[in-house]
Amino acid sequence: MAYRVVVVGGGAAGMQTAIELKSRGVEPIIVERDIELGGKARGWHKLFPTFTPAADVIRPLAQRVKDMHIRCFYGQEVTQIAHDGVTLRSEERIPADAVVVATGFTLFDAHRKQEYGYGLYDNVVTSVDLERMMIGGKVTLADGSEPKRIAILHCVGSRDEKVGQKHCSKVCCITGVKQAIELKEMYPTADVFNFYMDIRMFGAGYEELYREAQERYNVHFVRGRISEAAETIEKRIQIKAEDTLTGRPLRMTVDMLVLLVGMSANYDNPQLAASAGLTLAPNGYFKARDSFLGVVHSEREGIFFAGTATAPKSLADTLAEASLTASAVDAYLKNKFNVK
Amino acid sequence: MRNIVFGYGISRPRAIDMDNNDLRKSGDIIAEMPELQACIGCGSCTASCTAGRLTDFNFRKLHTAVRRGEYKGVYAELSKCMLCGKCRLVCPRGINTRGLVMLIKRKLGDF
Amino acid sequence: MEDMLIYFEPFTLPFVVGSLFMFAVIVTKWSFWLMRLPRVDRVKIRRGLFTRQTLLGAWEVVRESLLHVRIFRTNPVLGYMHASLAFGWFLLIVVGWIETIVYLGLKPVPLQGHVFFKYFAPHLNLDAHYAVFEHLMDALLLVVLIGVGLALFKRVRSSVMGMRRTTKHVLFDRVALSALWFIFPARLVAESLTVALYGGGGFLTGTLGTYLAKHLPYEILDILCMQSWWFYSAVLGLFFVALPFSRYMHIFTEIPLIFLRRWSLSPTKERKSYDNFEVEACSRCGICIDPCQLQADLGINDTQSVYYLRDRRYNMLSLKVANNCLMCGRCEAACPVGINLNTLRLNSRAKRRNIPNEGRYRYLQGIDTSSGAGRVGYFAGCMTSLTPAVQRSMERIFAAAGVDVWYADRDGGVCCGRPLMLSGETDAARKMVECNRALFRKHEIETLVTSCPICLKVFREEYNLEGIEVLHHTEYIARLIASGEVRLARDSSIYTYHDPCELGRGCGIYDAPRTVIGAVGTLAEPAHSGRNALCCGGSLANTVINDGQQHRIAERMTAELEATGCDTIVTACPLCNKSIARASRRPTQDISEIVAKNIL
Repeated sequence: MAYRVVVVGGGAAGMQTAIELKSRGVEPIIVERDIELGGKARGWHKLFPTFTPAADVIRPLAQRVKDMHIRCFYGQEVTQIAHDGVTLRSEERIPADAVVVATGFTLFDAHRKQEYGYGLYDNVVTSVDLERMMIGGKVTLADGSEPKRIAILHCVGSRDEKVGQKHCSKVCCITGVKQAIELKEMYPTADVFNFYMDIRMFGAGYEELYREAQERYNVHFVRGRISEAAETIEKRIQIKAEDTLTGRPLRMTVDMLVLLVGMSANYDNPQLAASAGLTLAPNGYFKARDSFLGVVHSEREGIFFAGTATAPKSLADTLAEASLTASAVDAYLKNKFNVK
Repeated sequence: MRNIVFGYGISRPRAIDMDNNDLRKSGDIIAEMPELQACIGCGSCTASCTAGRLTDFNFRKLHTAVRRGEYKGVYAELSKCMLCGKCRLVCPRGINTRGLVMLIKRKLGDF
Repeated sequence: MEDMLIYFEPFTLPFVVGSLFMFAVIVTKWSFWLMRLPRVDRVKIRRGLFTRQTLLGAWEVVRESLLHVRIFRTNPVLGYMHASLAFGWFLLIVVGWIETIVYLGLKPVPLQGHVFFKYFAPHLNLDAHYAVFEHLMDALLLVVLIGVGLALFKRVRSSVMGMRRTTKHVLFDRVALSALWFIFPARLVAESLTVALYGGGGFLTGTLGTYLAKHLPYEILDILCMQSWWFYSAVLGLFFVALPFSRYMHIFTEIPLIFLRRWSLSPTKERKSYDNFEVEACSRCGICIDPCQLQADLGINDTQSVYYLRDRRYNMLSLKVANNCLMCGRCEAACPVGINLNTLRLNSRAKRRNIPNEGRYRYLQGIDTSSGAGRVGYFAGCMTSLTPAVQRSMERIFAAAGVDVWYADRDGGVCCGRPLMLSGETDAARKMVECNRALFRKHEIETLVTSCPICLKVFREEYNLEGIEVLHHTEYIARLIASGEVRLARDSSIYTYHDPCELGRGCGIYDAPRTVIGAVGTLAEPAHSGRNALCCGGSLANTVINDGQQHRIAERMTAELEATGCDTIVTACPLCNKSIARASRRPTQDISEIVAKNIL
């Protein structure tokens, strides 16, 4: 009989972990809150830095889950986690030999930065809204017209203690560069301005893409964080920042302001952690056992992590880590049940 | 073009001379409010500044100058601040900017 | 028989010297303070002296200095403790006085004759009619002794008296306090020993005296009796010597303070002689400690008003203590003596930081490029530019009511000046006051509406805007609703209202926001509201606590708002709005937002 592992979350991390486990002869069960697999990545248009359509990554994963006959629970929320199973909101318990926490992250709610006017001004959108528009094939202003001047603001809900988000969300900088390029491709005559505090290009090919955005696409980079935005009568957005490289306040009016929203820890992390006896990092993410040799291990035997449950990560990193999680779970099960 | 003038002339050396600048005062200030060191230079304080809309007052540059041991003219510049507190509200690092303005002024001069 | 009463014994000396010293110091202090009062204040005294206020003052002295009615309201046990010591002791003196008069007739008896009457006339108590006094005096002594017992108990378990924390005292206080604790037990022992030797006594001293007489030989009683009177006199003397320099100075200072206040004297932005009356009227009861959120939420316990006044009185006020205050006014609301704690603290800041500099803010000259006009001027305030939903909502409300409005600071304004005043720079702040006042005058507005309670307070108190009615937007909206100029739909939401300090305790506006919320939905009050409302921690008055500490205060008070089970948290100050929104996952809205979305 195969060992049973409950994977909490059916996003990229959960799917990849389940697939890897299944191929190792373990019986994974995915419990997904949504009504289908795929997680946040279903909302992305193209992936940085290669502009690979997100669907080309997520759909094959979902198909493999289906083809491998991995059991999935949909629309089910896990409320309690233990090393020997999970409990659903319906109070149904799913026993297991190990549990993988692949619960992912929550997008920062841009309404919480009222000074940027999200939800208040028609033409202030988030990076997620922009992806959605791109999936729909067209980025337009609220009135349907084409934007000629666009500002992209980095670090909305990242590195901001005023909204309880001390950490860097890691992926927004490169997303900002990617989206700037996509906007320029869509509207070559439009001016795109990226407002940043620091540009962090840590991944393979990121820095190169940044340079491409500057040189080939003539995207303007302004080192300064926008402090407030106002709407004009023509529904344009007036923004205030300091151009810190010249040391002078900068005012400009744009057609559209894109807020690069960061990654928050899930609101129910404290509850899940408490039920499993796990600790959370100060920023609310789950704490791995060790930063080097135990990145997918929790502090409790039989409970493992995959993906952004432990920290903001790119999709590529998430998928790589999920394979590692599967291998760690497999090793744990073999060791525990003395399988040769 | 408007320039930031801290009240010094052209005879001032171009480089910030970190070998000879006296960092004791800035050390005092930092010891009292270590959060000054937490500035990441995003410019939110200056962008939202009420006095900065009317003058060339730039708190970010001033406190950075202080941290480099460049005190000349800083006191007079800081006196432009209206202490309205917007900068404290927007600072992503949660720095007590109003407290710092008062502290730097105290250490560099008056009370 | 009366001739046999010689009113002198060496043991009375400590008492006599101590009390004379005390009265000399107090009279000197008062004369000094009164002489140095500014002219305006002296004129006020002259005008008020022969008015009804003086009589009311006398009545207030009885209520507050003797009975401590306000402390009773805070906590009955604490009230009893203070009243038994003050009023009980007072009655002991008065009844003792009557006792001597009844017995000796109206003839001059020196002070120590009254105080140590029992010693000087031990054998008189055999008279039957005198027994009434004996019992009465014993009863009063018992009342005071219970008060002392409670005071001792309060040191150990203050929670019984509704106080989580009590005051930490200085040396003079400790000396005086220790002496005070001994005074009444010493009196009981001395009187009982006298009774043991000479008989008589009431239910307390009589019983104790009889018991002592039965168990101790006469010689020992004789020695002990003299020693106990020495001790009693010594602790009295010690207490009186320490009194003018200790917190017990409040006993005598509160009396002139009550009258001065009745004659409408009050502290101002600048320090003046009158402040001494307020500062020394503090009994350091410590009632101000518990309401202080710096104490409750952050564990800071050296900056509360009691310590601030103490430090100021002994000339050891540090900048940090003067600055580390939210000026939320919660302590002021709780102070049983009614000391103007915020104003005093502000003028301490001014003393240190108000440096005249004419050149400062010269850049404000000639910056006015404003245009437009309107009957109503709307001044959003600096902070409101970070809560654009408020501006947006006000625009919708003005439009719905068809108000002819001029936006004073839509393209950026000049600070109202209050933040600078809060840090003590009162003269520099005048520049901003003048700049904005000129702006309001230029546009000939009749009503000035602001969304920021901080601006509101300074507009009302410092701007001298005769002819222009200054309103907070909550008041203005309440009027528009009352007059039918704005008609609102009701929704099914439950709203909890947070009273901003500057709006509530600062400007006394409690009803208008509640009326407005009542017009759009259901209001649920948090545990602390109105005059007792908690501070959000974001106060501009405090430049000492850091961001994390501000946030902790916000979290604690927000938890209380959320505990009402509300759907939306409503407030009326951009600063509170920011603090609460940061600490809560519930929607946090300004009162103007919930109005704007419900306009019919």
